[in-house]
Amino acid sequence: MNAPKSVGRRGLLRTASAALVSTTGLATLQPGPARAENAQFDESVLIKRLIGREVVLSPRVHLDMPALFGNGYSVPMTLGVDSEMTESDHVRIIHVLAPENPIIVVAQFSFTPLCGRAEISTRIRLAKPQNVLAIAEMNDGMLLLARRFVTVKTDGCA
Amino acid sequence: MAAPESALHARVQAPGTVARGEVFQVRTLVTHPMETGLRRDAAGHLIPRDIVKRFTCRYNGVIAFTTDLHEAMAANPYLAFHLRATDSGVLHFLWEADDGTRASLEKPITVEA
Repeated sequence: MNAPKSVGRRGLLRTASAALVSTTGLATLQPGPARAENAQFDESVLIKRLIGREVVLSPRVHLDMPALFGNGYSVPMTLGVDSEMTESDHVRIIHVLAPENPIIVVAQFSFTPLCGRAEISTRIRLAKPQNVLAIAEMNDGMLLLARRFVTVKTDGCA
Repeated sequence: MAAPESALHARVQAPGTVARGEVFQVRTLVTHPMETGLRRDAAGHLIPRDIVKRFTCRYNGVIAFTTDLHEAMAANPYLAFHLRATDSGVLHFLWEADDGTRASLEKPITVEA
């Protein structure tokens, strides 16, 4: 978690934001207030800033990760959304965010009806214990959120 | 100094024959350090970022599934996802890294009525 001084947290957040927005074309970025280094992370502010709109906590989004994992370098993650995956009703993108990582945006998974099922398994890095967030963007524009608190014992970003 | 395509070693597991309409899992793995650009070497110099930043799966030429990967994806990125069997043909997989390195694989698929 030793982010280089020359880049800094805001720069990284901005980079992350730019990456997210360039992929989705979703949001106009609002320059937010600088966050004190030790302040509690405000999830809704972060989401507003990265995604640009409100999200709804939804039981349709399933974010399966171990509650406790020793190695922050490679934490297993399975992520699914209840969806028929038809032309008229499908998941377009799932964004994964790790708000306490030096670089917050982890990945964007882009689905099509050809997938048949909106489910992905992978392995991610976590710098410290935190709420991992998954935000599913549906084809009608709905944004559905799931979060999962994951404790890691070693810093996977150092 | 762009590395040749063969510098990335990729593997894909997918069934060769599937019933029409069936949803099947595709598992992929590519060998890559996913260097974040945040780490320093023993001399204190930043190790430059080098990650696989994009994965694309095409089904008979049509993009079916893509992933934008960032620094927090684990080394040797593993991605397992699903496809619905529509027609026989080819699954094409492409990994693209920061330094221009690419890996691609093709897998034939037979769809039975």
